[in-house]
Amino acid sequence: MECPIQSRENADLLLAYCARKLEPRTAAILERHMESCPDCRAFGDEQRSVWAALDRWDAQPVSPVFDRRLYQRLEAEEHRGWWDRAVRPWLPRAWRPAFPLAAASVLVAAVLLFRSPAPVGFPETNQAEAVDMDLERVERTLDDLEMLRQLNLMARVEAPSLQPM
Amino acid sequence: MNERVNNDMVAVAALEPDTELMLRVKEGDTASFALLLERHRAPVIHFLYRMVQNQAVAEELAQEVFLRVYRARTSYEPTAKFTTWLFRIAMHLALNSLRDGKNERGQESLDVETPAAPGRQIADRKPTVEQDLVHEVKLREVRRAIHLLPAKQRAAVLMHKYHELEYSQIARVLNCSESAVKSLLFRAYETLRVRLAHLV
Repeated sequence: MECPIQSRENADLLLAYCARKLEPRTAAILERHMESCPDCRAFGDEQRSVWAALDRWDAQPVSPVFDRRLYQRLEAEEHRGWWDRAVRPWLPRAWRPAFPLAAASVLVAAVLLFRSPAPVGFPETNQAEAVDMDLERVERTLDDLEMLRQLNLMARVEAPSLQPM
Repeated sequence: MNERVNNDMVAVAALEPDTELMLRVKEGDTASFALLLERHRAPVIHFLYRMVQNQAVAEELAQEVFLRVYRARTSYEPTAKFTTWLFRIAMHLALNSLRDGKNERGQESLDVETPAAPGRQIADRKPTVEQDLVHEVKLREVRRAIHLLPAKQRAAVLMHKYHELEYSQIARVLNCSESAVKSLLFRAYETLRVRLAHLV
């Protein structure tokens, strides 16, 4: 057998042996090798000590209210809206309380921004006056143009008589 | 490719009672979820406790693990052993917690005496005060040695030592190759052998 310490390929054999997870046939072969290999023997002894040390660490008992709390959370999960269920897992925990407020603010801002613009400016009476003023100006301009046209015609008619004979 | 995945799923479902239970949860059977919780509650909490070394944080993270399992029920596909999937979720949450330092605020001091396990309080062989003290000192050393390991090595050792996961399972949980897991474990145990040598 190739020495497990020398070849990293078989190093897990030693770990498995110390964890008593090695099948009996391979364990027997390894034990025969360890009898003649002081490095592997030392490794095995040390690893068994580590294993025993780790065995000292017992886990603590689980809180008796663990299941009750979990089922409460599952029930709350069931009653949450689809939007909350979709968005909540992606939000950092610290942001979660602020999210509804932020969402409401965004909604209000969007409504204000995209609402159809209301008539802004002059009251109706002022607008009517402005339209009347514009019409008067147009009429006056047209009158002026007509007067100019007639003056022009008169000038043409009178022009030959003014010429010297 | 799809055929292979389907074959894997059938094989896993056929071999694993947990996978069958989870498939029933997927169909809306809440009693099966209760059974899964009963079977895996303690191992998940114990793994998380040893990862973050704080019981309250470990239980909070375990709640999140089972919530995630429940949330994922509709999309669950048995492509791996249920335990592998469960430990993958737990490990992911533990690493996030360690990274964010959430457990530091309330971290149980390594000097605080933890409650003795029920198995050590046998009436006719009650340990003396001195034996208790020696046990506590040694336990503190073990916890400290584990705590000082890099997170991935720590997770690998805990899954290997306390939960007896196979190399292939640990590899899937840690998202690496089996040979990488063997290497991680070898280095981790090497460090532990040095740190715990004085306890022998």
